[in-house]
Formats: sequence, structure tokens, C-alpha cells
Amino acid sequence: MPDAAGNPGARNKLKVVSLEHKLGIHGSPTCVMQFDGATGWLVGEPHKGMAAMFTMMNNARLGVGAQGVGLAEAALQKAVAFAVDRVQGVTAEGVPGIIGHAEVRRMLAEARAEVFAARAIAAACAVAIDMANATGDAGWEARAALLTPIAKAYGTDTGCKVADIGVQVHGGMGFIEETGAAQYLRDARITTIYEGTNGIQAMDLVGRKLADGGEAAFRLIGEIETGAKAARDTLPDLAEEVWSAAESLREATEAMLAQAMNDRFAGAVPYLRAFALVLGAGLHLKAALADPARAALARVMIRRLLPDHAALIARSRDGAGDLYALSPEVLAG
Amino acid sequence: MTYRAAAADHRFILDHVVDFAQVAATDRFADATADTVAAILTEAARLCDDVMAPLNRGGDQTPARLENGVVRSSPGFAEGYRAIADGGWIGLSASPEFGGMGLPMALNTAVTDMMSGACLSLQLKPLLTQGQIEALEHHASDALKALYLPKLISGEWSGTMNLTEPQAGSDVGALRTKAAPKGDGTFAVTGQKIFITWGDCDITANHLPSGAGAAARRRARHAGHLALHGAEVPCRTRRAIPARATS
Ligand SMILES: Cc1cc2nc3c(=O)[nH]c(=O)nc-3n(C[C@H](O)[C@H](O)[C@H](O)COP(=O)(O)OP(=O)(O)OC[C@H]3O[C@@H](n4cnc5c(N)ncnc54)[C@H](O)[C@@H]3O)c2cc1C
Repeated sequence: MPDAAGNPGARNKLKVVSLEHKLGIHGSPTCVMQFDGATGWLVGEPHKGMAAMFTMMNNARLGVGAQGVGLAEAALQKAVAFAVDRVQGVTAEGVPGIIGHAEVRRMLAEARAEVFAARAIAAACAVAIDMANATGDAGWEARAALLTPIAKAYGTDTGCKVADIGVQVHGGMGFIEETGAAQYLRDARITTIYEGTNGIQAMDLVGRKLADGGEAAFRLIGEIETGAKAARDTLPDLAEEVWSAAESLREATEAMLAQAMNDRFAGAVPYLRAFALVLGAGLHLKAALADPARAALARVMIRRLLPDHAALIARSRDGAGDLYALSPEVLAG
Repeated sequence: MTYRAAAADHRFILDHVVDFAQVAATDRFADATADTVAAILTEAARLCDDVMAPLNRGGDQTPARLENGVVRSSPGFAEGYRAIADGGWIGLSASPEFGGMGLPMALNTAVTDMMSGACLSLQLKPLLTQGQIEALEHHASDALKALYLPKLISGEWSGTMNLTEPQAGSDVGALRTKAAPKGDGTFAVTGQKIFITWGDCDITANHLPSGAGAAARRRARHAGHLALHGAEVPCRTRRAIPARATS
């Protein structure tokens, strides 16, 4: 406890009781804390602690999304290096390493496309927070609020997915701890759970973040469409796909708004991923316009990953009825 | 293969994809010039590559452990955290009034990404401290701000987030920890918190849990306080750390 001069004084009445044994992040102590009449100071107003706590958690959510992207980056770099070195069989283009096999190249290309998409979404969310802080503009605030659950969930899902691809690219060596690929997968796994599970993020998106009647979502979708139109002359086929996917997302959002809350929740996770794919594809398109060397990666995002949005949207509109038709006994098998 | 933080990718996204220029054009973030952005990304990448990434495997293989009530951190983590703090990275987006750099979240987010790829376990410590700094900046009294913010921003103390309890995970409204008024403006906080990341360690001299507890006698769902508790840990001087932590 700090004394009047701000130096550590008497020990406060709280202690670590134990540390958890975990799947990953072993270097980060996860503590059980016991407070026995510990002295505390009130921060903010009485009984409004949860609101203050959420300030703390909101930007932390974006931070955790960025954690996912960073882990994906590290896992992918490791996988690419391995795929260049590892020789198995004869590759189509005569490149010696397994990176010359189309199937391995697909894994790495899709991973790189999602890392870029998730990173750009996190950056767009951060810019919205900064603009809201700098201008106090309600539109920017709504944009930041809308993007936060998407940045958190898509960033961390990408962390897990790319770390998983990283293990796969390594083959059997990926399963061996000394390689280091497995650590990324184990470490990434917590990021979809803490700071509000990704399921809770998706429910936040279709609940609170659509409580404005979809205004913030429709405005963002409109900007994606405007961006697609701007790319029509230079990258016509890619621009067209982004534009029509954005239209589908608009319809899916309308359909989401028409559903009762628990029905929305039943489709929340696929809806969030569809949103992230459409948004990420729009940001890839912008990147390709700014730098033609980035068009090949944008193509992978738009032609190989974006098509999933249609299936995801279909899964977001069916309500909860079919799920509750399955009893816990049936689910237990 | 050694990790290389993706500074160039971040630079490209800020410049060409998310229109960071509009942030730098505001009065509040006028300091975030192109030169500053370049310097921040380059310096952060250097710290990630040279200092943090080399600690990642050791952290996995030699987990933090509890020894006589003190958390001993993984090899090299104390020095790694000191390097993060000394570089000013904890307070990158914190208020300059208390020693922060006041730079945009867009830069802080890029740095979080690069540091997490280098060593997620260590990166969690500055991330949680930043969360506490932000909560105090928004909600604390001037006296609490003056007492805590400079030390949190400098990295001398660190912040933790104490929300989760055994019966209160996703449902944070279910928390039971009580904060009873002591009559002198402070509160007596009693309860158990679980899953508290970096709840204690031998790296920083003081760990400040901020968390929500229900006011005594008014355990209504929304009756949460955000309380801050100072915890002195036995290992007070930085110099005493490495010998134990790196053995
Ligand atoms: C390594 C680690 C570090 C952590 N660090 C911290 C920390 O520093 N500070 C802190 O306060 N907490 C911390 N946590 C706690 C973490 O934030 C919680 O574990 C998380 O919020 C989920 O809560 P829970 O574990 O109780 O799961 P539950 O809430 O029991 O959730 C179980 C499952 O049910 C789902 N679920 C729950 N409620 C609903 C609902 N209403 N609707 C739909 N689905 C629902 C969840 O999505 C999840 O899939 C940490 C946890 C771990 C494992």
C-alpha cells in the first residue's frame, strides 16, 4: 500500500493463493487472489464500477484482437521458413521446398490474407477510437463500438486458425514441442476466451451494436460499397465481388434486425465472421488499389475466403428453434 | 527462423488502408507526424525482435511459479519488462500530464500486435497496465491520478484486472466480492478473484489490482464499485530480481 509520499508501505491484505497450470501462456502467471479486508480506494462514482470497468475492457478487447494478429504473424513466419527448407517430392514449379506444392502454398496464402485482413480491421477500429477521442463525434464513437467486437473476435480467431495452419504446414514436426509451432497454437487458444469470449463478442455485435437500428453497420457497409465502386476500373472482377458481398451483408443485417434477440444470438458468430470477411475484403481491395503488388494477396482474400460469406450469412438467419429442438440428452449422445 | 515484427505492414495499413492521416490532422494527435510514426514502429520492432522474441520459448518451458507466496517470473522476463518500460511503451497512449506520450491508439495497437508475436506472455503485463491507466484517467479522483498514474506509466508499478470470480465469468454481474466502507473514505475489500493475469510477480514493486466489488448490503447487480488496492510485494528493489528470476 502506498504511503502518503507514494512509496510502498505496509503490505495490503491480499495475496496470491495459487497459480494455474495452463494449456499455454506459461510465462504469464494466472493467479487466484484472496482479498481479506484489503484496503481499496473508490475509483469513479459509487455503484458505477461496472461502467468504469468496461472502459478498461473495451480498449483491452481491441488489444486482445491485436494479440491474435501478432501470434498469427509469428506462426506464419515460422511456417513459411519451414516450408522453404523442407523438401518432399517434386513440386510443380520445380521449387525444391514444400512451399512449391500448391496445397502448401494455399495454406500459407490464405493465412497471409487473413493476417492482413485482421490487422487492417484492428487498425480501422483503433483509428475510429482515436477520431472519437479527438473530435467527440458520435459517428466515430458508434464506428469504434461496432468494430471492437469484430476486431477482438476475428483477430483472435485468425490467431488460432493461422497457428493451426502453422502446425499443419510443419507436418509431424509441428506436433513436436521443440519446433515451437505448437506453442503458438497453445498460446493463441486463450485469446478467444479472455476479455469476453468470442461468442459474447458476437452477441454484443448483433445485440447492443445493432441497437441503433443498424445505422452504424449500414454506414460502414455503404463505405465498403463506395470503395468497391472506386476500384471498378482498375480491378473490375475483384471490385464486383466485394460490392455484391457487401450487398448480401446489408440484407443479412436487415434480416438480423428482424429477428427476436435469442434468434439473433443463434446466428451471431457466423454473422460476425461474415461481417469480418466482407470488411476485410474491402480493406484488401483498398490496399491493392494503393499498391498493385498487393493485388495478388487481395485476390486470394476475395476469391478464396470471401465466398464463405454466403454460407455464413445463410447460417445467421435460421433462428434458434432448430438448436433447442435438440435436447441435452440427444447432444450428449 | 527468428521472428521479425511486421513494421512495414503496419506502416502501409496506416498510410494507405485506414487513413491514419485524418488522426494526425486533429489537434489532439498533431504530434503523430509521419516521422514519429516511422520512429515508433521501427523502435518497437527492434525491441520485439531483439529483446522480447528471444524470451518466448523460455517462458513456455520455465513457467512462472509460486515460491513462498511470491510469484517468480520466467527467465529474463524482469529485464524484458524493464526494457519495455524504459522505452516508454507502457504509456504510449497515456496522458502526457502524467508522463505518457499521448500518441494515438492506432500506434499502440500496432505495437501490441508486434509485441504479442514476439512474446504474448510478457506482453500481457503492459497491456493490463494500460487498461488500468485508462480506467484511472477516465474515472479516478485527481489525488488517485497523481499518486498512481506516474508510477504505472513509468512501469515502476503495474496494473492488473480483477474481475473474474468462480461464479462470475461471462456474467460479471454475479460477482460477490464485497467493498465495505471503512468510514475514512476507503473500503475494506473481501473476496476471491480467479484467473488474474500477472496478479503478482517479482518484476514490479507494486501490483495494483483494480476490480469490481459489490458494495456491502447492496449486492444489487449494478451496484459495482471499481476499487483499487495497493499491494506491496516483498521483493521491492529492481536489482534484487534477476538473481532469483533468471536462475
Ligand atoms: C489464462 C487466463 C487469464 C485470464 N486473465 C484474466 C484477468 O486478468 N482478469 C480477469 O478478471 N479475468 C481473467 N480471465 C478470466 C476470463 O476473462 C474468463 O475466463 C472469461 O471471461 C470466461 O468466463 P468463464 O471462464 O467463467 O466462462 P463461462 O462464462 O462459464 O463460459 C463458458 C462458455 O459459455 C459461454 N457463455 C457464457 N455465458 C453466456 C451467455 N450469456 N450467452 C452465450 N454464451 C455464454 C461462453 O462463451 C463459453 O463458451 C482469464 C482467464 C484465463 C483462462
